[in-house]
Amino acid sequence: MSLPLLPTTAVGSYPKPASLIEARRKFARKHLSKDELTELERRATREWIQIQEDAGMDLLVDGEQYRGDMVAYFADEMEGFAIAGLVRSYGNRYYPKPVVVGPVGRRHPVTVEWFKYAQSLTSRPVKGMLTGPYTIAEWSFNEHYPTRRELVLELARAIHQEVMDLQHAGAKYIQIDEPAIHTRPEEDFALAVEAMDIVTDGVSAYTVSHICYGDVPKIYPAMLKLAVNQLDLALKNEEFALLETFKKAPFTKDIGLGVVDAHSHRVESVEEIAEGIRRTLQVIPAKQIFISPDCGLKTRMTEETVGKLRNMVEATKLVRNELTGTREHGNAATRVR
Amino acid sequence: MITTVIGNYPKIPDMPAPGKWRSAVEKFQKGQLTEAELHQVEDEVTLEAIQDQVDAGVDLITDGHIRWDDGQTYFARRLRGLSINGLQRYFDTNIYFREPVAEGEIAWVEPISVRDFEFARQHSPRPVKPVVTGPFTLAKLGRNTHYPSGREFVLALARALNAELRALQAAGAEIIQVDEPALCQHKQEYPVFAEAMAALVDGVRAKKVLCTYFGDVGGVYPQLLQLPFDVIGLDFVAGYRNWDVIARAPFTKTLMAGFLDARNTRLETVDEIKGAVRRITSIVPPDRLMIAPSAGLEFLPHGVAKKKLERLVEGTRAASQTLKGVRA
Repeated sequence: MSLPLLPTTAVGSYPKPASLIEARRKFARKHLSKDELTELERRATREWIQIQEDAGMDLLVDGEQYRGDMVAYFADEMEGFAIAGLVRSYGNRYYPKPVVVGPVGRRHPVTVEWFKYAQSLTSRPVKGMLTGPYTIAEWSFNEHYPTRRELVLELARAIHQEVMDLQHAGAKYIQIDEPAIHTRPEEDFALAVEAMDIVTDGVSAYTVSHICYGDVPKIYPAMLKLAVNQLDLALKNEEFALLETFKKAPFTKDIGLGVVDAHSHRVESVEEIAEGIRRTLQVIPAKQIFISPDCGLKTRMTEETVGKLRNMVEATKLVRNELTGTREHGNAATRVR
Repeated sequence: MITTVIGNYPKIPDMPAPGKWRSAVEKFQKGQLTEAELHQVEDEVTLEAIQDQVDAGVDLITDGHIRWDDGQTYFARRLRGLSINGLQRYFDTNIYFREPVAEGEIAWVEPISVRDFEFARQHSPRPVKPVVTGPFTLAKLGRNTHYPSGREFVLALARALNAELRALQAAGAEIIQVDEPALCQHKQEYPVFAEAMAALVDGVRAKKVLCTYFGDVGGVYPQLLQLPFDVIGLDFVAGYRNWDVIARAPFTKTLMAGFLDARNTRLETVDEIKGAVRRITSIVPPDRLMIAPSAGLEFLPHGVAKKKLERLVEGTRAASQTLKGVRA
C-alpha cells in the first residue's frame, strides 16, 4: 500500500445524508433502534468510501458518519464523562459539552470496529481517526481533576491504548486531532507536547495530528516538537499566508496541506488548487507533502464536498505530472509551461 | 455589597427541548418566520433571562444579551465603516464570533443597544446595566484594512462608541458597563488603551464600569485606577493572579469581583464564596464591592447557569451576615 508522491487524503468528517440525520433524531427520541441506526451509518460509510475511491484519493477516511461531535463521541464511549447540556458554539449552533465527573479511561476500544469496517470496504489505506487528549480536555468541563494537567495526561494514556488497538487492527496511518492545541500557547503548549509523547509512545504506524483554527504562527516552530510524523494544517482559508511562517524555520515534518476551504460553499477550481500546491513547493519539498482539505467537511453540502475532493485530486495529478514529467491514465491535463 | 452579572446568559433551555429561540432562528432562516416574529421571540426569551436573574435575587442585572450574535457583531454591524467577516475563535474558548473588518471611516449612525436597554428596564423590577463591548477589544478581535495604524483604528472605534454611551445615558442608564477582555492579553498596549478609554467616556456622567476577564491585570495595575471609571471588574478565576496584583496598591474604586467560575459546571459551595468574599473585604470595604461570576454565563448550559446565579446570591448573603456579625 505505498502512496504516490503528493498523496491525497482528507481530515476526517464528511456530511451526513439527510436520511441519516433524520435517523439520528429518531434514535435520540428512542423511535429507532441502535441496530437500525448502525445500519444507516454503515451505508453512509460505504457511500463515502466509494466517493473517495471514485475521486481517486489515495489515503481514505471513514467520514465519521457515526459521530455527532468529535469530543462528545469519545466522552460518550469513555468512562468518567457526563453530558452537561447544550452550549453555544456560534449563531444558533450548539454542541453537547461533556463534563468530567470521575476518573477518565476506556471501557472498551472506541473506534476500532469502525476502522475495521471502513478498511474492509477498500484496498486503499484508511486512516484511524482519534481526538487528542488536549482537545478532549479543553472542550469538556472538568469537575473532577484538580488541574488540567492531570486530566490531559490521564486522557493521553487512554488515547494511547486506542492508538495501540488501532495499530493492532491493521491501521498503518493514525490521526490524532488536536484542533484546540494552541488555545493557551504560552501556558500549555509544553503540556500538549508531553501528552502527545504519551499518545504515540512506541507506535510504529505513521501518525498525523490535525490542528486548525487559531494562531498557528504562535506555536511555530514549537509545534514541530509534537511526536507525530505529519502535521495537518489549514492553508487555504488564509490563502497560504502560513507559508510565510514556514519560511522562518524549516518545516521538518511532513505536512497535510489544506488546499480547499472547509467553510466556504465555493468549489475551488483545479487551477486555483494547483497554484496553492505550487506555492507550497517553493517552501516545503514535495516528498514531505500530503494534499488535503483544510478541515473536516461535515458542514458542507454533499455536492460541494464531492466537487472539492475531485478538484483537489485533479489539481494534485496536474502538479504531480509537472514534477515527474509523466502522465497518469493518459487523461491528465496537458502540461502548461 | 451587591451581586451582579457580567452580561450574557444562555438562550436555550437544557436538553432535549430545542427551545423557542433556536426553533425560531431555524424557522426564520427557512423563511417561515418574519423578522418581527423572531424579535418577538427574542423579547420573550429576554424576559425569561431577566426573570431567572430576579428569581435568583441578583441585585443589578442585564438583559442577558439574548439578541447578541456575539459581542462584536452586535455593535459592529450597526456602525458605519465596518463589515462582518468569517468566524474566529473567541479568546481561549470554544465559542466563535464573526470578525469585524474596518473598510472605511468608522462612524456611529444610530443607537445600537438603546432599544434593548429600554425594553429590559421597562420589564425588570431590578436596575438594569447596559453593556457595550469596548473599542480596544473590538479592534483586537477585528481587522483593520482602512486606518494607517492600530491606534487610529482603536480611537475611531472609541469615538463612535462614545455616541452609543451618550445615547444610553440619554435613555436614562445610570450605570454603563464597558467590556474589555482583550486588555488582559495586550497589556503592552496600555497607553493606547488608556487613550481610547478617555475618548470613549468623554462627557458621559453615568456610573461607568470597566470590565476585564479571561486573565489578570498584572502590569497595568495600579495605573488602571487612573482611568475615568467608577467600577473595575476583575476575573478571579482565570485571573487568579489578581489576588496578588491588587495587594500591591490600595484599590481606590469599586471592585466588581468575578468569583464564580463562569466557564466550568462545578458549582461553588457557599463556603467557598464566603471565603472569597471575606478575603476580598480585607482589601476592599463591602460598600465598594460587587460580587459576580468571572464572565458571561453563556459558556454554561442553562440549568447550571441558573444554579450558579442562585449560589452567587446565597454565598454573598451568607458572607454579608458573617461580616455584620463580626462588626456587631
